[in-house]
Amino acid sequence: MTDVTLTINGEERSASVPPETSLLRLLRDEFYLTGSKLGCDVGDCGACTVIVDGLPVNACLMLAGQVDGRDVVTIEGLATLEDLHPIQKAFEEFASLQCGFCGPGVIIAAKGLLDRNPDPTKEEIKDALSGNLCRCTGYTKMIEAVQDAARILRGEKEAA
Amino acid sequence: MEMRAFDFVSAENADQAVSLLSEHGPNVIVLAGGTDILVDLKHAKHDPDVVVDITRAEDLKGIEVNDEGLRIGALVTHTQIMDDPYIQENFPALVHAAHTIGAVQTRNLGTLGGNLVTCVPSMDSGPALMALEAEVTVAGPDGTRRMGLEEFFVGPRKTVLEHNEVLLDVIIPRKNLGKPTDFLKFGLRKGQALALVNAASALWIGEGNTFKDVKISLGAVAPTVIRAAIAEDFLEGREITPENMAEAGRLAVEDAKPIDDFRASASYRRDLIAVLTKRTLDNAYRLAQGR
Ligand SMILES: Cc1cc2nc3c(=O)[nH]c(=O)nc-3n(C[C@H](O)[C@H](O)[C@H](O)COP(=O)(O)OP(=O)(O)OC[C@H]3O[C@@H](n4cnc5c(N)ncnc54)[C@H](O)[C@@H]3O)c2cc1C
Ligand code: FES
Ligand code: FES
Repeated sequence: MTDVTLTINGEERSASVPPETSLLRLLRDEFYLTGSKLGCDVGDCGACTVIVDGLPVNACLMLAGQVDGRDVVTIEGLATLEDLHPIQKAFEEFASLQCGFCGPGVIIAAKGLLDRNPDPTKEEIKDALSGNLCRCTGYTKMIEAVQDAARILRGEKEAA
Repeated sequence: MEMRAFDFVSAENADQAVSLLSEHGPNVIVLAGGTDILVDLKHAKHDPDVVVDITRAEDLKGIEVNDEGLRIGALVTHTQIMDDPYIQENFPALVHAAHTIGAVQTRNLGTLGGNLVTCVPSMDSGPALMALEAEVTVAGPDGTRRMGLEEFFVGPRKTVLEHNEVLLDVIIPRKNLGKPTDFLKFGLRKGQALALVNAASALWIGEGNTFKDVKISLGAVAPTVIRAAIAEDFLEGREITPENMAEAGRLAVEDAKPIDDFRASASYRRDLIAVLTKRTLDNAYRLAQGR
């Protein structure tokens, strides 16, 4: 077994799992954080996107043992009990999701972008979301939502 | 997809990685960013007894200029290459090549070393580095050895590495620091697409506006990334003209052995080789004029 202790959404968590456990399985099956989705399981769809040490990555492509001691943020870490995160709110307002399966990955990828680049161009948003596949909505409304969330996060616009 | 059971050990540095690989070998594998190997493990292409994680080995990280040239550690990710100020200034082709790999998530995990060791003919890190005559350092139980990429790449998914050897770093020799270079990838889409053909050219401008030390490299057109020697020999010392660049493109096709597959036919790839060779030469020349 591999013992891991890591920070997830600001809280220290520990588990003992078989070495062949992916980070995605660790999150979903050990910690019941099922917001990160299992889509393709091989890096193509982005539904499993989480932020590790500040950078968005595919949780299906990391082993649990590799995140021992590291800092992970999942979709569950964004909203508070009172409020959704501005990116989540913008996705709601712009109706950027239909079935919603791709949503956690897309929103985390968008957060990864805005954390590093608060004022991205449309091209930069497209680039940041190119690892996230959506089979229902299409991407136009997502891009608009990310642009709106960026304005709110920069303080140029009041949240809805 | 479940992976078959294996043991997991983590190496703190390159020496320890070599010892762990020797101790647990031969049925062992190195794990870096995992973007190639985890996919293979899930498809059960490998069934290792032990996986040696090297992502904590600090001596395999870092980008710096030293006496030998530009050293890029094997564990440097594609994102780190894109973000490095020295590489941005001196080797925009490397930034561009890194940017064409997968998507943000893949580039944050995937490493330069992993890309070279996986050794698929369409790898996007290969051509620009080969055109810049990059060398690699390999560490094994008997110490380190240094070789060019042409020697390092053996065939599709095969390098010279033994089971207990680790790729330490990639070195672009001092004489080529800042050498004007261009890389182009032709894929079916912009994001998340493998190259049908990719190509890179590096050159200096010699006396009387001639090609000097021109190097051309092509990917996805032969069992490994290759140099286009016939085209290079034709250009060396000749005047830099659009006609000569176009002729080099035609000659580069003779250097390649493209195949038919589900992504493209061999004849389409031959057309792409000619076009990409010409365009990378032209772009590298423009870059050289700006220096
Ligand atoms: C969705 C997706 C899209 C992709 N798109 C592209 C693309 O457009 N272009 C492209 O070129 N590639 C692409 N790739 C492939 C992959 O991301 C790259 O090849 C990546 O650079 C591999 O690096 P890694 O660190 O993830 O390697 P790993 O998967 O960790 O390792 C790959 C191989 O190298 C060995 N290895 C790694 N590091 C070392 C070392 N230092 N010493 C010895 N052996 C080592 C491993 O044992 C393994 O055999 C894509 C992958 C995915 C999942
Ligand atoms: S589930 Fe990880 S990228 Fe699809
Ligand atoms: S909303 Fe259904 S996959 Fe994106």
